[in-house]
Amino acid sequence: MSNFSEKKIFEEADNWIKNNKKVSLATVVQTWGSSPLGIGSRMIVSEDGNFLGSVSGGCVESKVVEECISLMKTKKICKKIDFKVSNENAWEMGLACGGDISIYIEEIK
Amino acid sequence: MKIEIIREILKNKSLNKEFALITNLINGESEIFFPGNNPNGMFSKYSEEIEKIFHLNKNGIIEDSEIFVQIYKNPIKVIIIGAVDISMYLIDFAKNLNFEIIIVDPRGYFASKERFPDTKIINKWPNEAFDEIETNTKTALVTLTHDPKIDDPALKYALKNKFFYIGALGSKKTHEKRCSRLLEVGFKKVELEKINGPIGINLGGKSPSEIALSIISQLVSEKYKN
Repeated sequence: MSNFSEKKIFEEADNWIKNNKKVSLATVVQTWGSSPLGIGSRMIVSEDGNFLGSVSGGCVESKVVEECISLMKTKKICKKIDFKVSNENAWEMGLACGGDISIYIEEIK
Repeated sequence: MKIEIIREILKNKSLNKEFALITNLINGESEIFFPGNNPNGMFSKYSEEIEKIFHLNKNGIIEDSEIFVQIYKNPIKVIIIGAVDISMYLIDFAKNLNFEIIIVDPRGYFASKERFPDTKIINKWPNEAFDEIETNTKTALVTLTHDPKIDDPALKYALKNKFFYIGALGSKKTHEKRCSRLLEVGFKKVELEKINGPIGINLGGKSPSEIALSIISQLVSEKYKN
């Protein structure tokens, strides 16, 4: 499994943290059927909505950014979000590939 | 996750270490795991599974658990013989494709730091250079000088050491000549089939950047061949 771009993502996360920003990390932890990106794909989200990396090639990113921002506003450390075709939300988001993915989000502290 | 763990991952990657990141998806705890070592605390009961996933080289959640394992293995090392124009484009492409590049060229005026900033260059003949490069079945060789004096010793080394990929620049005719030279010194015909010559996927292009693209495409496609 390649994790080449993760280096860029992690370096940027470190920069954002050094600039006193709250940052969350989103990771694809499970996939079923055809999914655009593999397990281990990552994305970082800052509290002001900036993001880098990708977890689905564009299908669910906006929802993941939203979830990360709200996670950072709570005391919760982490959360797993399932995007399934049968799931109404995912339908709206349009996982066009027809696959299901689980994304784990956590705040970097 | 703690930022310290992210910094540790970056550090271990820069030291070419191979390891895994284990995360408990319920409570958010994570730690770095080195194969052969026992993971700590609550991860310890999964040590066998973690080790298994590591050797399969497949990220994932351990069955019937909420433990996620992400594997960090070293990228494929590509040794390029010849600090030529094509090599510069190869370096550019490789940056975003997870290949480690080392350039070998005994000709100092080619293999200069000015021409190849930020790249590992060994300004020696291939046989001497291989003394200082660790190679294994994850190593690839790309020969680009089309000078038998420089290319052939590297090809011989790669054939003997069962490199993951071997490619040699040159026309069909040049490749035929190359193969007969190698046959003469005792290599078998079937062994020479390992050499991709002419190098690269046939995209039709002729410019240095197009040739580099065809070579890097072939490397990517070989990487995913099972």
